[in-house]
Amino acid sequence: MKTAVYFCNCGTNISDKINPEKVEDAVKKKNGDVIFKTFGFLCSEEGKEFLRKDIIDNAVDAVVIPACSPRDHEKTFMNVLSAAGVNPYMMQMVNIREQIAWVTEDGEKAAAKAVRYINAAISRVNLQEPLEKKEIDISPDAVIVGAGPAGLKAALSLAEAGRKVTVVEKSPTIGGLPVRYEEIFPNMECGPCMLEPIMGEALHGDASGNIEFLTLSEIEDAVGSYGNFTVKIKRSPRYVDTEKCIGCAECIAPCPVSFKNPFNCGINDRKAIDFSFAGALPNVPYVNAGVCLRFNGRGGTGGGSCRLCIDACPVGEEVFNFGEKEEILERNAGSIILATGSALYDCSKVPSLGYGKIPDVYNGIEFERILASNGPTEGNIRTSAGEEPQSFAIVHCVGSLDKNHKDYCSGICCEYAFKFNHIIRNKIPSAKIYHLYKEMVIPGKESGSLYRHAAEDKNTVFIRVSDINGMTITEENGRKVFSVKDACGSVGGIETGGIRSGVGGAGERNETGGEIESGEKISVDAVILCPAVVPGEDMDRLAGILETAKDKNGFFEELHGRTDAGRSKIKGVYLAGSCHSPMDIKEAMNEGMAAAGYVLSGLVAGKKLSIDPISAAVEQERCSGCKVCIGVCPYKAISFDEEKEASFVNELLCQGCGTCAAACPSSAIKANGFTDGEIFAEIGIMLS
Amino acid sequence: MTGKPKIGMYWAASCGGCEIALVNINEKIIDLDANFDFMFCPCLLDTKKRDIKELPDESIFITFFNGGIRTEENEEMAHLLRKKSKILIAFGSCAYEGCIPGLANLSSRDELFKTVYLDNPSIDNPLGILPVPESDVPEGSLEIPRFYDTLRTLSQVVDVDYFIPGCPPEPKQIWNVIELVISGAALPPKKSIIGAGASSVCEECDRKKSEKKIERFYRNYEIIPEKEKCLLEQGLICMGIATRDGCGALCPKVNMPCTGCYGPPEGVLDQGAKMVAALGSIIDIDGIKGLEDANIIEKIDRTIESIPDPSGLFYKYSLADSILKRRTLP
Repeated sequence: MKTAVYFCNCGTNISDKINPEKVEDAVKKKNGDVIFKTFGFLCSEEGKEFLRKDIIDNAVDAVVIPACSPRDHEKTFMNVLSAAGVNPYMMQMVNIREQIAWVTEDGEKAAAKAVRYINAAISRVNLQEPLEKKEIDISPDAVIVGAGPAGLKAALSLAEAGRKVTVVEKSPTIGGLPVRYEEIFPNMECGPCMLEPIMGEALHGDASGNIEFLTLSEIEDAVGSYGNFTVKIKRSPRYVDTEKCIGCAECIAPCPVSFKNPFNCGINDRKAIDFSFAGALPNVPYVNAGVCLRFNGRGGTGGGSCRLCIDACPVGEEVFNFGEKEEILERNAGSIILATGSALYDCSKVPSLGYGKIPDVYNGIEFERILASNGPTEGNIRTSAGEEPQSFAIVHCVGSLDKNHKDYCSGICCEYAFKFNHIIRNKIPSAKIYHLYKEMVIPGKESGSLYRHAAEDKNTVFIRVSDINGMTITEENGRKVFSVKDACGSVGGIETGGIRSGVGGAGERNETGGEIESGEKISVDAVILCPAVVPGEDMDRLAGILETAKDKNGFFEELHGRTDAGRSKIKGVYLAGSCHSPMDIKEAMNEGMAAAGYVLSGLVAGKKLSIDPISAAVEQERCSGCKVCIGVCPYKAISFDEEKEASFVNELLCQGCGTCAAACPSSAIKANGFTDGEIFAEIGIMLS
Repeated sequence: MTGKPKIGMYWAASCGGCEIALVNINEKIIDLDANFDFMFCPCLLDTKKRDIKELPDESIFITFFNGGIRTEENEEMAHLLRKKSKILIAFGSCAYEGCIPGLANLSSRDELFKTVYLDNPSIDNPLGILPVPESDVPEGSLEIPRFYDTLRTLSQVVDVDYFIPGCPPEPKQIWNVIELVISGAALPPKKSIIGAGASSVCEECDRKKSEKKIERFYRNYEIIPEKEKCLLEQGLICMGIATRDGCGALCPKVNMPCTGCYGPPEGVLDQGAKMVAALGSIIDIDGIKGLEDANIIEKIDRTIESIPDPSGLFYKYSLADSILKRRTLP
């Protein structure tokens, strides 16, 4: 093997400190017939051309380049090797700039150190093997789980780029949580109206032919890997044909049975055949087989003959298919986008706040539905006694910033709390509103307005409480009573806005409310709890199927929280929206777009996927089947072949981290490019 | 004198179990005798060192050398037998990788002497007499072989042709080697490990293995393990994953974790390090996710503390032949 060392002076960056001639002498003394050349800037066009030509002229087999960090120019020089007809993996860079020249004071010591590094690299490169990139065919299509803002945005963007998309939504409607909200912070837009153009475009627009919506559907299984997933989807029957139904709603009134409407958090009833809410898309009602008389004939015998909805339908009997069965559908896709959204922390886990026990104590989503004109009260706020409440406590930070519950701030609750403040004020101008909070978080250039409305409102009082989850709310004579004994400041009705807090003791006297004394009892007619945003309920099951990691709070875990927050640890499975972190609609929409970007840049139709050969490989005849490696792989790239009783690495998923090779107790896993032999040779010279 | 090829067995720093293992080939010993002139074995025969010295070089066809190189005498015999043998085989764990005597490399000679001759509760040595190479007595000068600071493996002292692992080697495997030689078939490449497999004990172990995640470790007396399930998965530190196969997984078969006596699998340089790396990879990964740093450290410390003697556990047989080789001498 002919080995050559190409020493880069990096202008004077390296040669000022490390004398190339001295290094050359020492390296040649140790390595006999090694070629040693020096160049000013090896990464320049002339430098690259010199390198290419010299490799060819001297028929060099392996190259050592003492220069900068491989993060700077490893790819550059690998390309030169390829151009010279040498396998690009037959190269070893030695970082003598950052690791030696820039950090070693003494020139003699720097040169001696460089010699040692270079000798180590030579010993390693002589053991390196040519590695080849592999290429595989891929599917450019995507499966998106969740039809909320993030999922819809991703679906529409991909469809517009010509990709086929299947959107799997477990509920009967699309739009996610925001379609339940009458108005949305920060600008009080109507939720369903704001999403309508996007949903309309996805359902009926130019690119809608590329989008398949599967509502009442869930992921059942997924096999394969990046570029070629096969996803099994379980679709539950709707019993109403989405193509034939015209959405006229004639069938609803005649239906004789009702149940608690889950869409309205069970606050009101809906019929067995009904829409989730007025304006739900797709505009087709669905049948709850759990209560419909056709499935629960009188006396609970099943097979009932009720046909009141069928008779009321102006289109005809063909709209209904009560014989419809659960279906398993299969879709092939190169990528999967998880956009499954989030839920609210169960407020009953903070029992002292009375949620679920005391009437008129709501969580954020329940109150959203109460405020909504298509909600259970058609937008009228009424207490359980049927009266208009005259005072409210809006409790921020419920179950948040508390290591006994959730230790994070969800970042959206203060904003919707001030939105509630605004809507209540419009509906009940004289209402007294207390905001109880631990920390106030209202980021964003548009968030000031709603906050200011509350802060400048004479009938709104801010009370900072150090231990929100330690507060007790009780019921006395129909009113909700709490004491703010651990209040550390309060302010109300001030002119200038801003909150004085954290100073201990009492706050400032205001015109209407007076000073809130620590320990004072306050009673209100209704309480709205703003709990931590938590992962959606189906997430564990989905994480199990896709083998995506979850973080300590149960959200999907990102590949990297900042630089790759849109990717899960499984290659080809992307994350968008609040399934991986609490966020608002704007962020979710952006994330949907970002996930589409990952899909578009990662997999291009007609282009093959190239696999980096720096990956691990199992020598199956040496593998004893102990299965230590399987759980070790952060990318789920290792599976077990029961027939051969040996592990194997999916090269496509392997990222070449080497964890399995280190863990394999019988050294049956080889890390290409980082074999034990190569590493020991390098260390051996370094320590000799 | 016979025309049969000569075969011998020598006993350096070891326990004698290797000789027992050879005898445990049972009636095959007759076949051995039929094919070889079993001429040297201080444990069983009366041949003396001077008899060996007088032999022409390479006149012993095979020498099974068991035991590590602990003393000057061990070393002298290693050189002598190398010279007189055509094929020198490091027989058993001590000769191959140091084994239990090699664990003494965690101490210096002085520390060993202090423990054995002075501090040992069963010793009565009021004058504090320690072994010295030469001592004068009324009858003249007495010499005993020098005792080294470091126990070395046979191949660290002389050139070795083959290695038979095991503490002791399984009689069946010993016979396989002898039978191969008798058959006249081509011998494996020099320096090979013979009388063993190339994979790990798990290959021969019938216990059911699954993805490993260990919550905590148990010592053998703390639990009675389930019969079917991988012992390691039950928290017993079974060295089988990092140990060469060939023994037939005898210990796990009787509910005892492998202690690693067949040494590292093919291609593994350091059995103890490999075992530690593997365990580090499979301990309770989920449990520490999201914990505060201090709690993680505490948890790790607790796990490490549950292993009272890590070097004795992970390097029970292989310390002298590992990357570590010994503790730095004071």
